Amino acid sequence: MAAAEPYDVIIVGSGAGGGMSAYHLTKSGLKVLMLEAGRNYDPTTETPMFNIPAQAPLRGASTPDKPFGFYDATVDGGWEVPNEPYTVAEGSEEFTWWRPRMLGGRTNHWGRISLRFGPLDFKPRSRDGLGYDWPITYDDLAPWYDKTEKLIGVTGAAPPRGLTNTPDSPPGCLMESPPPRGFEMFYARAFEAMGIPVVPMHGAVVTQKMEGRNTCVFATPCGRGCSIGANFQSTTVLLPPAMATKNLTITTNALVYQVDLDANGKAKGVSYVDRVTGEHHSVTAKAVVLAAGSGETARILLNSKSSKFPDGLCNTHGMVGRYLMDSVGLNVTGQFPALEGLPPTNDDGMSVEHTYVPWWGYDKHKELGFPRGYHVEIGGGRGMPSMGLARLMADDESSVGDALRAKLRQRYGSIISFNGRGEMIPNDDCYCELDPKTKDKWGIPVLRFHWKWGESETKQAAHMVTTFLEVIDRLGGKPVGTVERDGRKAISKGGEMIHEVGTARMGASDADSVVNQYGQTWAVPNLFVTDGAVLVSSPDKNPTLSILALAWRSSDHLATLAKQGAL
Amino acid sequence: MSDDAPQPAQEPYVRKIDRRTALTWVGVVGAATVVGAGVVVYGPKVGGKAEPKGYGTDPKLVNPDKAPWPRLLSDEELQAAAILSDFILPASGTAPAASALGVPDFVDEWVSAPYPDQLKDRPLIRDGLKALAKKAGKADAAGRAAALSDLAGSGSDFFRRFRALTIGAYYTTEEGFKDIGYIGNIAREADEGPSAEVKAAIEAQLKKLGL
Repeated sequence: MAAAEPYDVIIVGSGAGGGMSAYHLTKSGLKVLMLEAGRNYDPTTETPMFNIPAQAPLRGASTPDKPFGFYDATVDGGWEVPNEPYTVAEGSEEFTWWRPRMLGGRTNHWGRISLRFGPLDFKPRSRDGLGYDWPITYDDLAPWYDKTEKLIGVTGAAPPRGLTNTPDSPPGCLMESPPPRGFEMFYARAFEAMGIPVVPMHGAVVTQKMEGRNTCVFATPCGRGCSIGANFQSTTVLLPPAMATKNLTITTNALVYQVDLDANGKAKGVSYVDRVTGEHHSVTAKAVVLAAGSGETARILLNSKSSKFPDGLCNTHGMVGRYLMDSVGLNVTGQFPALEGLPPTNDDGMSVEHTYVPWWGYDKHKELGFPRGYHVEIGGGRGMPSMGLARLMADDESSVGDALRAKLRQRYGSIISFNGRGEMIPNDDCYCELDPKTKDKWGIPVLRFHWKWGESETKQAAHMVTTFLEVIDRLGGKPVGTVERDGRKAISKGGEMIHEVGTARMGASDADSVVNQYGQTWAVPNLFVTDGAVLVSSPDKNPTLSILALAWRSSDHLATLAKQGAL
Repeated sequence: MSDDAPQPAQEPYVRKIDRRTALTWVGVVGAATVVGAGVVVYGPKVGGKAEPKGYGTDPKLVNPDKAPWPRLLSDEELQAAAILSDFILPASGTAPAASALGVPDFVDEWVSAPYPDQLKDRPLIRDGLKALAKKAGKADAAGRAAALSDLAGSGSDFFRRFRALTIGAYYTTEEGFKDIGYIGNIAREADEGPSAEVKAAIEAQLKKLGL
């Protein structure tokens, strides 16, 4: 049964930030209305578990309609969303923006890599003068990391390693990762020979008995979603218990474009357009939480103009949209004769990598010539064949028939893909603002992005290439395709890693930040932000786990204020 | 040419689609003739038309619909696709030939699709199939085998791309999984990791590499 108006809190967005906010606020007894721009989505009935490519159009190959392949969970989105354009400023480097339009947002298809930020990641400026310090320390967030890991289910349990800036979770927080697969045993030896540790991956997959959750069946890719809820999706882990409190109402297809203020300058609600009917609606509550995703949250604030905030809500100091960050991304793939002709083995695993390589050079940045590091996500093994299988054959090989079958069988499973994911330092050239001309289908101004990688990032990307080539060489392999060694050319596009964060960062004062350490906006005390927009730095660690932990901490603060009648 | 050279398909290839789908496509293209259950012969596409729509941004995933766009290959091109795909992957032991898995239909679906990658492939594949049909369509078995062998030896863009599509289409089926040795996609209680045999084989290789 749905809660009726009046609502205590309106939450905009249903992904990691919105889902966690709804989970905690409803459990705290608050009546919550969640507005999601996309359609309703039910992983239990909509996930193509165990489907094979032959059942899909074009054997599941990626198309502009489904950029990550036919079976990817993303609904009505990708790099473009119909009727909802965005622009990139003239003279900017490329920027691309991934958006879904579905309940649960990007938590339905995400990579499930769940790494804690480390102590140094919260104090980069104190460390070496670059970037900006957070108003909190690792110790402030650590208890919320503990709670989040225990709630969502994360692998990676291992004896404490004490690696620099790579926190070991306390006992009882993590579940065991499955054993390394063949290719993971194999590559580990090269990294170890270079003095670089390889450790169990922290992945948001349930691998051991856990109350209220199903255990992974070690088959079928997580990116399709999981009909049995064995991985973390907002739609399977956060929203059902929130619904069970009877304190949550969810309205879908509700594209929020404005925060409405009352005469005293406090938030009284939001306005949205129904994406199906085109009708405009306004709803009210005692507090508003924005968790629409870093880009969309900034857009809502910038579009919320009033006489008090002519340049957009909370934007008196021009901080909204600034310090937009992504992760540095780079891939080098190798083919390894040593892995050819292995006996068939089931490498499906838990979908997310079983092991990974944390950044190892914290004490070497001076000699390396770039200030921030990266971790390595490594794919390979005998995965379900896809349309890309023919890449096992060189262009100049003309084999057909049994010779072709034999070569494919021989080489299948001998490819390993090395993916660097690195920290980006925020800079003045990366931000978003409202486009002065372009509007969406409903007449709402859209975002215009500005992007420029700094030298810290391009040098880091070049180091990734050198490192991966050395690893490939030590393993007796050869790189596949042409390898670009120039970091400026090899680096991913802005936004391409889908880790866009910043735009409404937290800080110690309203002069240089949009929200305080609890995601509470400086300008409007009953308006909160609980998505990736609040991040002050973008460490190499993938942001979702931190967004969840921060959203929980902020929601707890909000709930406390509500109990005190202080909203 | 050696005695065990693969033999091209002898029987005409029949489209592996149901009658309802065939009739839908007929309704869309208007130029096709239904000649019998499951057999549709298409005329060439009338030029200058806008591309049809794709499957959209929210297709059904659990029970996907067939790709909705009309198919473009003429029967002559389709027969050439059958001959060539069976030359690339003829039946072998218990593994079926490419045409038995509907690879020619897949090539038709692929080159008819309204998306950029497929539009790029369309002229390359169709022109190549037309040229092959001319050379091999009415040739005897020996003439056909020679034409195919020449094509493979030429290393042309058409041959490489067609082979890539054939490999992709073939090995993304249950039969293809079996042939290449993919044994996953089954629910398991636990993931015990690689077998002792696999571990030993990898250790032996690592030793050779001095690792």
